[in-house]
Amino acid sequence: MKLPASFRTSKGMLGIGLVLAILLIAVIAPVLIPADWATKMDMRARLSPPTWAHPLGTDQLGRDLMYRVLLGARTSIAIASAAVLMSIVIGLPLGLISGYAGRTTDNVLMRLVDTLLAFPALLLALTISAVLGPNLQNTIIAIGIAFTPFLARIIRGEALRVAQMPYVEAARTAGNSDARLIVRHILPNIMPAVIVQSTISLAFAILAEAGLSFLGLGTQPPDASWGLMIQASRDYLDRAPWTALVPGAAVALTVLGLNMFGDALRDALDPRSKGAS
Amino acid sequence: MSYILNRILSMLLTLFLISAITFAVTNILPGDVAMMIMGTQSNPEALAGLRESLGLNDPLLVQYGRWIGGMLTGDWGTSLVFKEPIAPLLLQKMTASGLIVLFSMSIALICAVPLGVWAAVHPNRWQDTASSSAALLGVSLPDFFWGIMMILLFARGLHWLPSSGFVDPGEDLLLAFRHALLPSLALGLGLMAHLTRMTRATMTGILNQEFIRVARAKGLGERTVVWRYGLANAVGPVMTVAGLQVGYLFGSIIVIESLFNYTGMGWLTYQALLNRDIPLIQASVFVIAAVVMLANLIVDLLYVLVDPRIRLS
Repeated sequence: MKLPASFRTSKGMLGIGLVLAILLIAVIAPVLIPADWATKMDMRARLSPPTWAHPLGTDQLGRDLMYRVLLGARTSIAIASAAVLMSIVIGLPLGLISGYAGRTTDNVLMRLVDTLLAFPALLLALTISAVLGPNLQNTIIAIGIAFTPFLARIIRGEALRVAQMPYVEAARTAGNSDARLIVRHILPNIMPAVIVQSTISLAFAILAEAGLSFLGLGTQPPDASWGLMIQASRDYLDRAPWTALVPGAAVALTVLGLNMFGDALRDALDPRSKGAS
Repeated sequence: MSYILNRILSMLLTLFLISAITFAVTNILPGDVAMMIMGTQSNPEALAGLRESLGLNDPLLVQYGRWIGGMLTGDWGTSLVFKEPIAPLLLQKMTASGLIVLFSMSIALICAVPLGVWAAVHPNRWQDTASSSAALLGVSLPDFFWGIMMILLFARGLHWLPSSGFVDPGEDLLLAFRHALLPSLALGLGLMAHLTRMTRATMTGILNQEFIRVARAKGLGERTVVWRYGLANAVGPVMTVAGLQVGYLFGSIIVIESLFNYTGMGWLTYQALLNRDIPLIQASVFVIAAVVMLANLIVDLLYVLVDPRIRLS
C-alpha cells in the first residue's frame, strides 16, 4: 500500500509519526509502567530538575514527571476521543437530516445549531461541567456537547451539496427510499469531510480538556491529565518551570501532530483544497 | 436595507433562544438559590419560606418569564457571591474584558495579515515554511500555556510587566495598559496563528485566479497586484473569520483572566461557575453569547460595506 502524496511530505510524515507515537504511548504506557510509579512521592527530590533518576524532573510532591506525563496521555487522549465520538454520534444524524430534508426541518434544526454556536465552546463546556459536577465522565459529555454544533453545521453543508448531485437524483428516480438514499448514497460521500473534521476536532478537544482541567472543572485528582499537571505547576513556576514545560510540551506535540495529520488527510481526501492549509 | 432588517429580526429570535437555553441549563443545577443563600445546614422551614418568597415554587415557565422580564427592564438580580446588583457589575467587567479582547484582536490582525500574505506570495519557499510552521505551532499550544510562558519571561524573568491584576483605565491609563498587555498577548498569539493560516489559504486561492494573471499581464507592479488586487478580495473572508474568532476569544478569556487575575468578564464567569452563583451564571453566560452574536452581526454588515458584490445581488 502506498501513502497518498500529501502524506509523503515532511509535514505529513511528521504528523503521522507524532500521532502514531502518541497513540502507542497512550495504549502501552499503562501496560508497561505500574500505575504507582506516577504517584510515588520522593520527598527528598521535590521539584527536582531533570536528573538521571528523574529524566524530566519531579513535581511539588516529588512525583516523577516522565511517568506522569506518559500515563496522563491515556487520560487526555481517551477523554478527547470519547468527546469527539459523542459529538459525531449526535451531530451526524442532525446534520444529515437537516441537509437532506431542507425547508422547515432544516430551518428549525439550524436555528438551534446557530444558537448553540453563539456560546463560546469553552464557556459551554465549562458551564455544563459545572452543572453536572466535574469528573472524568462529565468532562467528556461537556466537551462532546460543546463540539456538536460545529460538526452538525459542517455535515449539514456537505449533505446539502451531495443531496443535489445528479447521481442522488438518479437513485431517487430509481425508487430508493429516503433512508436508503441517506445511508447508501449520501453518507459514504460525506465521510471524508467527517473524518477530516474529526481529526481537527480531536486536536481542539485535547486543548479543551487541558483548559477545563486547568480551571479545576475537568479531570479531577488522582487521575493524571496534562491540563491538571499544568495547573499544579502554577505555584512553582519560579523554582521549577519544567513542571509546566513537560506537560505543556506533551499537549503541544499531540495537537501539532493531529493538526499536521489533519492537514495532510484533507489534502489526500479532498483534492480541491490542495495547498490551502 | 431588507437584508439588514432580516438579520436583526433573526438576531432577536436567536437572542430569545439563547436566553431559553441559558435558563434551562442553569436550572438543572442541583441546589437552588434559596439553598445558596441560607447554606446546606439551614432550617428546612426557613428554607421553604425563602423559596416561596423568591418564587422558586412557581412553574419553570413562570420563573423564566420573570427572569426575562427582569432582564428587559434592567433588573438583573443580585449576585450571591459578590452581594452586588448584577447589571452594573457586568457592565464594569465587560469594559475590562473589552479592553483585552480589542487589544488582542488588533495584535493578531496586525501580525497575521502580512505574515499570511508573505507566505502566500512565496508558496513552498522558506518564507512560506517559516510563517506556516510558526502558525501551526501557535494553534497547537493552549493559550494558558503561552500565558504561563509570558509570566515566566516578561514578569518573573525580565521584570518588564506585572504578572497579574487589573487597573481601571480611568484611574491610570499607563498602568491599565501595562496590566492588559500580557493577557492580550497570550490571547492574541493563538488567534494570530489561526488568522495567519486563514489569510494564507485565502490569498493562495485568490493569487491563482484569472484576474490576477490579467493584472500581471498588463504590466502592473507585483506590489499593486498583491496588495491592491489580491488583498482587497481577501479582506472579506479574513474579516469573517476574525469575527467568528470573537466567540473563541470570549471562551479563552475565562482561562486567561483567571491565570492573570485580570478581573474581567471571564474571571467573573469563572467565579460564578465555581460558586454556583446561579443568577450571575445566567446573566453572564447570556451576556457573553449576546456579545458574540452582536460581533458577528457587525462583521456581516461590514462585509456588505467592503464587498459591493453582495449589495448588488
